[in-house]
Amino acid sequence: MAGALRVRELGRVAYADGLALQHEVVAARRRGACPDTLLLLEHPPVVTLGRSHKADHLLLSREAMTARGIELHEAARGGDVTYHAPGQLVGYPIVDLDARGARDVHAWLRTLEGLVGEALEGLGVRWRRVPGWTGVFVDDPRSAAAGARARKIASIGVGLRGWVTCHGFALNVDLDLAGFEAIVPCGLHAVEMTSVARELADRAPADLGARARTAVREAFERGLGKEADFESADAQRGEAERSGRPPG
Amino acid sequence: MAIAIELPALGESVVEGTISRWLVKEGDRVDVDQPLVEVTTDKVDAEIPAPVTGIVQVLLAAEGETVPVGAELLRLEPLGEEVRVEVPDAEPEAWPTASAPATPLARRVAEASGVDLSDVVADGPRVRRADVERHVATKASTPPASVAAPAPPADPASERGAPAFMRYALQEGDRVVPMSPLRRLVAEHMVFSKRTSPHVGAVAEIDLSGVVRVRDAQKRAFQEAHGFALSFLPFLVHATVRALREYPRLNASLVEDAIVEKKDVHIGIAVETEKGLVVPVVRHADRLSLAGLAEAVEDLASRARSKKLSPDELKGGTFTISNPGRHGNLYGFAIINQPQVGILRMGEIVKRPVVRTLGGEDAIVIRPILHLALSYDHRVVDGAPANGFLHRVRELLEEAEFDL
Repeated sequence: MAGALRVRELGRVAYADGLALQHEVVAARRRGACPDTLLLLEHPPVVTLGRSHKADHLLLSREAMTARGIELHEAARGGDVTYHAPGQLVGYPIVDLDARGARDVHAWLRTLEGLVGEALEGLGVRWRRVPGWTGVFVDDPRSAAAGARARKIASIGVGLRGWVTCHGFALNVDLDLAGFEAIVPCGLHAVEMTSVARELADRAPADLGARARTAVREAFERGLGKEADFESADAQRGEAERSGRPPG
Repeated sequence: MAIAIELPALGESVVEGTISRWLVKEGDRVDVDQPLVEVTTDKVDAEIPAPVTGIVQVLLAAEGETVPVGAELLRLEPLGEEVRVEVPDAEPEAWPTASAPATPLARRVAEASGVDLSDVVADGPRVRRADVERHVATKASTPPASVAAPAPPADPASERGAPAFMRYALQEGDRVVPMSPLRRLVAEHMVFSKRTSPHVGAVAEIDLSGVVRVRDAQKRAFQEAHGFALSFLPFLVHATVRALREYPRLNASLVEDAIVEKKDVHIGIAVETEKGLVVPVVRHADRLSLAGLAEAVEDLASRARSKKLSPDELKGGTFTISNPGRHGNLYGFAIINQPQVGILRMGEIVKRPVVRTLGGEDAIVIRPILHLALSYDHRVVDGAPANGFLHRVRELLEEAEFDL
């Protein structure tokens, strides 16, 4: 998929603000006013309900969640229930699939899994897909034991506005996994949530958060085209101008 | 003719989708690109946008229903030309009743309420559901005679949102022409551009003697080689792209909070056609010779008039030149074509007396003069680069060093 991706690192953003920003960028992308854009951020504790959520996948009452400082939000994305909190890297790739000649949402889900997986490899975590389930899971030599639950490290849910994507992935980097007790993640009872920090255990570097952001950023720039590539083309043009003649 | 909106193929392995939410209801007016419905498939929530501006006629699937790819989701009655055909020339106060065609929805409602459609007074060129419902309501309370009271057409888009005192009340003899989708698009773009960009203007008086000399010398050979006459426009495009290379700030867009100076120069040429204003784009205009520009401009303009342009040829301009032709008057300021930051508009080319110094003496001489007006977006472009750019265009045209 040829193209250029702009990456914007936004730090901690309230869920509602993140949604509003996504709307803005999606609208701009659809008008052709900005390039494909990856928003990288994290959210304060919040449980979000995808379009296909089931009520019994919320394990705590709304009151109990409020008491724990967890917000509740509905989101116009596919998928079931999910949980976001600081320490989880959330990525919203806003990409015009039509412009990239890639009008296939399932292929897009697989692309997201692959790019998040590539970032995990860079961090030293082995990953895998589980056929039939969307998301990124970790390879676990111990799970040969019968009945072991699949361990999920990143959730994926996507929205499409025309052919422009929104929402995306949530990669558990280093967060209190107890928050997931409020829900059945993505409606998968047989799934256990894990994080990069837990997988690396004592191999985890002190600056894991920053390293994870860089790994994700670089994986997406490799996969979807780096905007800077275009800046260097501009620099070449500058050369041509200084030499007095327009190129071509 | 109503358009059927189907569940699109969202991917090779996507065979069906579930209607999660309708975002419109029957009878709604929707603009092109407005989201109509949310459809969910595994892990994906897709919004299907309207392909054209129109009226939602009928929804054909229920929320929660799962439908296969290709299934019809709704029908949309486009607003536009075929409506215009049915508009009587001057009969604003009473649309013909018996002859007014009814929308299928209106027919359904009429049938359900036992109303004869020929009794219903349309509030527009067609009998709509609202007309039938109003007819039913009035019939219950008043004798039929009062139904024929004059009623202004509802929702003329041009005055949407205007306070009551600004609205025009139709007079007998007025001609009512519904806006075509193109007209509406142009209108929305103009308002958007004026609201978005603080327009500033500058005008250059340009002596085209040199260009006229080059053109006269090449005229016959060019006509023979290319089969059409060489006009002044390609010279202006050529000078403009060279000046844009020197002043990249004019070849830019504001993207969120950054100014993006574009690496490519694609010049939009505003062309007036029967259907209205269109702006086909000469791509990579900086890579074309003068003859190449002439070919491209001629090709786009003639295909614009014969309506043979593809949508792609109207997209992606980075700067625009408007040529109103022989009747361009002295000069005038065009509205910026968003998201660009500048537009040049040609005035008429007329012989005028100007002062020149000839052999050390000031003299009044007669020269072919073009007034060229630049409108620029002061959010992005300051006076210095804007004036520098326009002055450079003038220099290039007056130096007239053009190779064909």
